[in-house]
Amino acid sequence: MDDKELFARYKETGDPAIRNAIVEKYLYIASLLAKKFVGRGVEYDDLFQVAALALIKGVERFDESKGLQFSTFITPTITGEIKNYFRDHSRLVHLPRKVSELRAAIKKETELLLAETGKKPTAKELASRLGVSEEDVVRAAEAGGVVSLDRPVDSEEGMSFYDVIPAEDDAFEQFENRDAVRASLQALSETERKLVACRFEEELSQAETAKRMGVSQMYVSRMERKILEKLRENFKKSTVQ
Amino acid sequence: MELLSMKVCLSGEMMTTVRLATGGVCSCAGLDLDASEDCKLCVTESILLLRNSGYRMVCITFEEGEDMAVRVTGCELGRPAEKAGEDEISFALLEALAEDVTTEKEGDRLSAVGFRFKHGR
Repeated sequence: MDDKELFARYKETGDPAIRNAIVEKYLYIASLLAKKFVGRGVEYDDLFQVAALALIKGVERFDESKGLQFSTFITPTITGEIKNYFRDHSRLVHLPRKVSELRAAIKKETELLLAETGKKPTAKELASRLGVSEEDVVRAAEAGGVVSLDRPVDSEEGMSFYDVIPAEDDAFEQFENRDAVRASLQALSETERKLVACRFEEELSQAETAKRMGVSQMYVSRMERKILEKLRENFKKSTVQ
Repeated sequence: MELLSMKVCLSGEMMTTVRLATGGVCSCAGLDLDASEDCKLCVTESILLLRNSGYRMVCITFEEGEDMAVRVTGCELGRPAEKAGEDEISFALLEALAEDVTTEKEGDRLSAVGFRFKHGR
């Protein structure tokens, strides 16, 4: 069965087996195109997956009666999907497509209005020309472009953005947490504090803790649960205050 | 204005040089990163097409005007032409990525590929 017949039969019956046969026949194009886009920060496997999905979508959309070869039709379709994927998932931090498009439209419209009226347009004028809200115009204008982490923060210190972005394990946060835990522990009884010390400072097992304290493991387990609830409550209270 | 013109031997090792040079020219012409990567891909595809036509050397010219115009011309024959099934995909890829894709033939043989990229200036 040639391609034209295959597509005609699939359109007629919607039989997934025929669709699968077409997809399998042209999967090499998905692989070929995915390979051509390797090296731009996205793994081949991801690109191949995107390309294969585009191929499946393409099979659904292809109209064999227009006389076009499927390979000619599917190449730009897959390429388009891969490029969309790059736009949305590459390692650079990109603005959402809608915001980028609005920024481009604002730039164009600003130039047009400037030429028409001789003065720079206001956000209100731009919003009315573009059919969006004033807030959208302001937000898009504030969004800015892609910024390099290596860009200097100031010319004197020679520090980059990367240098001044706080690390996830913030030392101040750790200090505050430790302080809050210390305060919460003060509210526990002496026995409870002893249990916490065994379990969380010395990292003993419940059985070892029970032996050390001369109680049963069951008792340690129950007490531990109670202590944790108590600490959680104290923590909550201190955060609210 | 011509930015760069180079004559390249179509060996696998030279492809990296071609891609690096293309990236540099694209940067000079103000193309963004995506367009620059697309341009590299189009130059590579054009070279593959000309290699399949039997050329062993090509001339690549980059010109800057309203857009950046690239032209890859076969300049020395020296290998048997191959009827590669992937040529059709290469043409479709060029059409998908670049603008105003043109081809020239000498008899049945493809002899040049041209295309344009809009720059961000």
